[in-house]
Amino acid sequence: MTYDVEAVARYLPFLLRGITVTLQFTVLSFVLGSVLGLVFALGRISRNPVLRVPCRAYIDFIRGTPLLAQIYLVHFGFPQMFGYKPVGWVDAVVALTLNSAAYVAEIFRAGIESIERGQMEAARSLGMTYSQAMRYVVLPQAFRRVVPPMGNEFIALLKESSLVSVIGMEDLMMKARMMAGRSFKAFEAYFTIALIYLALTFTFARLLDFLERRIKTNGHG
Amino acid sequence: MVTVENLHKRFGDLHVLKGISLKVQKGEVLVIIGPSGSGKSTFLRCLNHLEIPTSGKIMIDGVDLGDRHTNINLVRRSVGMVFQHFNLFPHLTALENIILAPVKVLGMSRSEAEDRGMELLGKVGLADKRDAYPDQLSGGQKQRVAIARALAMKPKLMLFDEPTSALDPEMIGEVLGVMRELAIEGMTMIVVSHEMGFAREVADRVLLLDGGVIVEEGTPSEFFGNPKHERTRAFLSKIL
Repeated sequence: MTYDVEAVARYLPFLLRGITVTLQFTVLSFVLGSVLGLVFALGRISRNPVLRVPCRAYIDFIRGTPLLAQIYLVHFGFPQMFGYKPVGWVDAVVALTLNSAAYVAEIFRAGIESIERGQMEAARSLGMTYSQAMRYVVLPQAFRRVVPPMGNEFIALLKESSLVSVIGMEDLMMKARMMAGRSFKAFEAYFTIALIYLALTFTFARLLDFLERRIKTNGHG
Repeated sequence: MVTVENLHKRFGDLHVLKGISLKVQKGEVLVIIGPSGSGKSTFLRCLNHLEIPTSGKIMIDGVDLGDRHTNINLVRRSVGMVFQHFNLFPHLTALENIILAPVKVLGMSRSEAEDRGMELLGKVGLADKRDAYPDQLSGGQKQRVAIARALAMKPKLMLFDEPTSALDPEMIGEVLGVMRELAIEGMTMIVVSHEMGFAREVADRVLLLDGGVIVEEGTPSEFFGNPKHERTRAFLSKIL
């Protein structure tokens, strides 16, 4: 049992190139998923069942099924069913976005529902429409409260994005699989990228702590 | 200004308002008192449709609130409401709280709204608090900003839902002072309150609501000096 330091050193630049890909997938899906998630959250709390029921069904479906199944569905299932040619990186972003949106929707919903009812009532009593009250009164307060869970969602997504390697995306995970295949150093490959994932999540977690403290010290409400 | 006919409100099996009818004239100050759970707040909240009545008719300044073609948002612009728990917007400063609706709802320019907002802050004695956030204000100050916020929409009618119930005793006076001034200026006001001193001095009419019905109404001197109903006497003896 030996740990091949030399192999790690040789493959490290190769592995590190996967960081960019992993971060691209994570950031892009997080941003798109957040926008979509907000839409689903607003639909989910709507009093109109035409909006509420499908949003709720969507959220339940995504949260109740494995991300891996969703990736396969987007990349292999839909192209076959509707007869188009799959594009790997697009499908990866779409699958991660659709997945993250459901979790983000629940975060936003909880955030919105945590704002006292009196805020909406006061806004409505001044003649604001529901949308205006949401936009100018409820959401600005809810956004502050969802910073910690949204940060956690980002970190979760960073880790889960490793699943896009199954459809050939050359992210960190795929780089490790390639290294293991070429050098037969499976332990070195997977342990090294595990440490890289850890370094990334650790960094973002500290960043999040910093952000939370700032909001706490100069945020009102 | 306000006409209510046979207003009923049920929450499921709970029959909160059991046929309320009343009229409030322009410039009149009506104070509603009554034990907790008597439906006072529910009644007030029906007047701007924060609660939708189960049946009955509400007319405000000639507009039927129950009419399908009535835009409730337009009605609410001219009906200010002050809440027991202030409900100031905590992410906005005092001045921003006041100008938000004029700018976003009435489309007033920011500078015009700010000028008017400062005027209102001055009127409630808080011009120096323009940049303070609600969590930096005392309860009495919060409620005065909340009154200024409602006044910024230039309402024709003001609804007060127990505006002093959540305040420490030493802060009640400053809020009642602002309300008294408003009454003197001729604002039409409907006030749910247990401040008997205020009712006696400022109200044109006092009304006792109990069990979802109007038990007694009259001028303050009739109401407090010579109540006709046993329930009124019993209620007054408990709180005076």
